[in-house]
Amino acid sequence: MSTLSQRLIPQSTFRRDLGLVAWQIRYEQRSYWRNRGRGIFTFVFPIMFLAIFASLDKGQTISTRGNIAFNDFFVPGILAYGVIATTFVNLAIGTAILRDQGILKRMQGTPLPRWAYIAARIGSTFLIMMAMTVVVLGLGAAVWGLDFRAASVPGLIITLLLGTAAFTTLGIGIARFIPNSEAAPVVVNLMILPLTFISNIWFPVDSLPQALKTIAGIFPIKALADGLQYVFDPRHHGVGVSGQDIKVLAIWTVVGIFLMLRFLQKPMGDVA
Amino acid sequence: MNQKSTYPDELAIEVRDLHKSYGSLAAVDGVSFEVRRGEVFCLLGPNGAGKTTTVEILEGYRERSGGDARVLGIDPATGDRALREQVGIVLQACGVQPDLTVYELIEMFGRYHVRQRPVDEVIELAELTEKRDTRAKALSGGQRRRLDLALALVGDPELIFLDEPTTGFDPHARRLAWSTIRSLCQLGKTVFLTTHFMDEAQFLADRVAVMRGGQIIASGRPDELGGRDLRPAEIRFALPEGTGLGDVPEIPAESRELEGDRVIIHTRAPVRAAQIVTTWALDRDLDLGHFSVTQPTLEDIYLELTGPNEHNHEVQEASL
Repeated sequence: MSTLSQRLIPQSTFRRDLGLVAWQIRYEQRSYWRNRGRGIFTFVFPIMFLAIFASLDKGQTISTRGNIAFNDFFVPGILAYGVIATTFVNLAIGTAILRDQGILKRMQGTPLPRWAYIAARIGSTFLIMMAMTVVVLGLGAAVWGLDFRAASVPGLIITLLLGTAAFTTLGIGIARFIPNSEAAPVVVNLMILPLTFISNIWFPVDSLPQALKTIAGIFPIKALADGLQYVFDPRHHGVGVSGQDIKVLAIWTVVGIFLMLRFLQKPMGDVA
Repeated sequence: MNQKSTYPDELAIEVRDLHKSYGSLAAVDGVSFEVRRGEVFCLLGPNGAGKTTTVEILEGYRERSGGDARVLGIDPATGDRALREQVGIVLQACGVQPDLTVYELIEMFGRYHVRQRPVDEVIELAELTEKRDTRAKALSGGQRRRLDLALALVGDPELIFLDEPTTGFDPHARRLAWSTIRSLCQLGKTVFLTTHFMDEAQFLADRVAVMRGGQIIASGRPDELGGRDLRPAEIRFALPEGTGLGDVPEIPAESRELEGDRVIIHTRAPVRAAQIVTTWALDRDLDLGHFSVTQPTLEDIYLELTGPNEHNHEVQEASL
């Protein structure tokens, strides 16, 4: 009888599955941009913070960093926050909602392979992150004279990709620890917001107590902010790769992949 | 039709001694049944009887602890994609992407299947034509349920699982849904239904099975379940003025009694009994008010089967 089912159903090919991933990304994108609430949380916030910080900027320099322009600090800092908001925050809250509303369970009942669905969610998240990056860096360069050096583009790309990888996988993997979707925004911001204040996102933490700096150094938020600020720091002339920050992001990517796979191994029927 | 005639003897679902336990609790405790291709099979039972657990094992959402299960010849625990290509699932209370429209959702889910029905055909079948461009979050409860059905049908499945498909429907919408489900059977599709509504089971099901305490306690055609067809029928009428129960002629009956001014007769020969009573009344020009002849309903049988008795541990514990 298994031969019967094989006769009825043409074999799916990997190419067709890749087509399904692209197909699903289109619908994930439509869903995302139509949901104003989530769009504000993840896409508009970073841009709003950028505008607020820019309005506070009166040509200050940062004395603890060899008097570099404040612009060259806060634009990459907010870019780091934007990456976290569009990937981690978006996916953690989004996955908790999909789980609680039974959408994950419904998707599991279709022939769409689970990996293809997750790949589409990640792909769609990547597009949102890219759009945010273009807006933040574009405004930063055009309006606030962000110091952009062609030589450091490889560093920018590597840091962005690794940061995205870490926060995307962590965002999906962390959904396990979110009890329900109503609590999700609170839980996720509780994980993120306190750390941003000791992680060079909003202001330089160079003069903070060593203990706080050590704590911040464990987590990937500071690594991403530092890595991106390294790229735009006019005192550096290389390809813009900050080895220590890359190492921390790489370790967290491994942790993220582990957590994500654990989440995905559980049958979605039992998750719900 | 063609599926049915090509593989006449094939079983859509085959379950042997199915077990599922959570710790020491046996949610499903040795269940066996078969569902033939092209039939509507209905699983009835009170909450906590193990219906949903059984269905979710067959749908591949849960793993069984013991026994054997085959769905379209495939083991649901390992069948995965080949099975999901041929099965449509309508779950209880299961969300959809709220910001996509009816058309977009059916189109999106359709693409997952190698074999798919045209989107507009499915929209028409589910009576959603007017809501085609409405976002899912703006649909009413009944419309959402019809969308659930549409999403289950878009892959042109051989077998459709319907878990309480008409909950929240108004009577008109239920009739519509029933005729949709009936029309699926005319296409040779198999339907596995769970419901709380006895009229739904009576109207739709070719066969029903009643579950209680993780076991199947009765199964058969709706009109034969629990010996329903062999039970005495009930004849009722108001006693005409100026007559007593003793004036009613002798009738072949299990029992006859008076309840207020109503005569209630239980008989295995309802046709003959009715004739005797009506002839008696007509000959004497008596008025027989509220005259009726009824068989026990499926609901009567169901309540009798699932009602409290020595086998029903849950009820016993609850009453202690």
